[in-house]
Amino acid sequence: MSTLVIAPLLVALVTAILTLLVRPSDILQRTVSLLGSVAYLVATALLFDAVVLPLGSESDILVYQVSNWAAPFGITLVADGLSAFMLVLSGLVSLLALVYSIAFISGYGQRLSYHPLYHFMVVGVTGSFLTGDIFNLFVWFEVMLMSSYILVLFYSGREHTRAALNYVVLNLIGSAVMLVAIGGLYSTTGTLNMADIARRLAEPAAYDIALLPVLGLSAVLFSVFALKAGMVPFQFWVPAAYRAAPAPVTAMLAGVVKKVGVYAIIRLYFTIFAAASVDLSFLGISGDSFLGFFGPVMFVMATASILFGGFGAVGRSDLDGILAYSSISQVGFIILPLAVAATAPSEAIAVLGVTASIVYAFNHGIAKSLLFLASGTIQDVVGSDQLSDLGGLANRAPVLAAGFFLGALTLIGVPPLSGFFGKFLVFQAAAEALAAGAAGSALALAVALAGAILTIAYYTRAWNQVFWGTTTDLVDAALPARWSLGTRGAAMTDGGQRELERLELTTQVTVVVVLAVAAIGFGIGFEAVFSAAEAAARAALDTNGYVDAVLHGPGVGAEAGAGGGHA
Amino acid sequence: MTEVFLAGVLGVLFSIGTYLVLRRDVVRVVWGISIISQSANVYLVTMGGFDGLGPILSGHGGGGAAPTDPLVQALVLTAIVIGFGTTALALVLTYRVYEEHGTIDMYELGGSQ
Repeated sequence: MSTLVIAPLLVALVTAILTLLVRPSDILQRTVSLLGSVAYLVATALLFDAVVLPLGSESDILVYQVSNWAAPFGITLVADGLSAFMLVLSGLVSLLALVYSIAFISGYGQRLSYHPLYHFMVVGVTGSFLTGDIFNLFVWFEVMLMSSYILVLFYSGREHTRAALNYVVLNLIGSAVMLVAIGGLYSTTGTLNMADIARRLAEPAAYDIALLPVLGLSAVLFSVFALKAGMVPFQFWVPAAYRAAPAPVTAMLAGVVKKVGVYAIIRLYFTIFAAASVDLSFLGISGDSFLGFFGPVMFVMATASILFGGFGAVGRSDLDGILAYSSISQVGFIILPLAVAATAPSEAIAVLGVTASIVYAFNHGIAKSLLFLASGTIQDVVGSDQLSDLGGLANRAPVLAAGFFLGALTLIGVPPLSGFFGKFLVFQAAAEALAAGAAGSALALAVALAGAILTIAYYTRAWNQVFWGTTTDLVDAALPARWSLGTRGAAMTDGGQRELERLELTTQVTVVVVLAVAAIGFGIGFEAVFSAAEAAARAALDTNGYVDAVLHGPGVGAEAGAGGGHA
Repeated sequence: MTEVFLAGVLGVLFSIGTYLVLRRDVVRVVWGISIISQSANVYLVTMGGFDGLGPILSGHGGGGAAPTDPLVQALVLTAIVIGFGTTALALVLTYRVYEEHGTIDMYELGGSQ
């Protein structure tokens, strides 16, 4: 039992409430918000340090029983390697996106309610990563989504209300479906605690559980997570919502919120439901565990996402559209190694597949945030993100262009950037599965290759159009000669205003540069990232370790004994 | 018997909800969503089972009847609170859509592109 587990949650919650309280003062609110975000990153780093480090060794599992109610009855928060890894990603991206938003969102918007909403979204994300209870997973999803609804709606223009309406309606239906699936799981397994579900599924006869209904309900639940992750065929809300939201919010949605869906898939299907062994044969899909059933499902969805997103991105004529469709495609790349891992013939390949997925999710979090933020700055300065309106930005804004270039190269996968290893691991997982004779892995390789080529195609197109090519009138008007910050617009005569604008743009570009440096840094120091991701993957696949830590961990047994009357 | 009856009610509620969600009128879509989320709540209660008859404390002091599972009631309570919040938000959003577009007809609003 460790109180460190709830530290990130408490820090984010306190920050959210404080920013609400100090709303009257702009400066104070921004300071509190920023300090809170730094504290959140520190808290996640400390938790990571306690759980995963020293790298290479077995990762620890920290459990916090809320109010000391022992595991299957009380609410449990669990931090294992996987949670800690995802939390650090969330800490990194949320801090950088917040710094960017302070320079990007208008003063009025920030005064309105931006900061509390932003931090409540982080609270929801943190809770989803830490919870050990499926009903609480639903609650944290709602906390996260409620804030994201309003943040997507933030600009409240014509386009935005329409996009937000789609987003809200879709997610509300998703929530109802999730509730139905969770209610069904409670009814069939008799518990809501994830570890307890895993324990009971391992011995269905002892607890009188019919496994086939559980499989069906977990499939219903899967569709909800696929919706949150934006996988085909649930991808249709992604482009409109990403276009509507302010750039830093889009960075959070693509970089972190989407990963919550991926995390939930890994946690529930690889840690919890994998415990069950079931004899089934359905439409030619067969297997001796739930994963044998979900593997092909994931494979089909990942393939469809990679191809649909890739071709969609090639055909888009606006920068945000390309990035949004690219995001659909990249989620396919995150799920593809999971599909390989689900049907992997050996433990080693399963670990490799999940590791590849986690590394890819991490890269995507960094690189896609970078690209959305760079695109936001371009729109802010030039006033358009249509490819036809843009051109020649590489001359006029070399630093921003370099940032965008590195981000694109990361997603394409060029060494030594961190993205290279992500792609490499995906291919390696598929190739090793092929060598071990797993069915469909040749197809997985082919899809990954096609996806990689599509990625190159659409980023090359975006790069050529936006940063090279002839300078358009719009760019000419916005950036007269070189990247001279704050001199755009003839009406800008007030010196103080110009100074502020220069500062804001410098901050935005700095954030982009920091993310680009991070992409290079994680690539050069990839050994550490890989060890951490591998520890996370091992933790995700170690059902017994998870169950033991939650149900019989240090402190739990003693309390269960002392408080035996409750049971 | 109660379960069978509630299963029928659930079927009706879900179909009404689905019918309303597929309407052109945004307000009906919001109604549809709240009906669907309420039917999810009824579903939760049904899933808890109706084996027990007594209230939760009736077993104390040697009282006879077995209690009904209280956990689902707690879950439903939480889900209702969340449902209230989201329904309120959806209604405000509908009003906002009306202000921005002058209509709440989905067809006139156009697709997501």
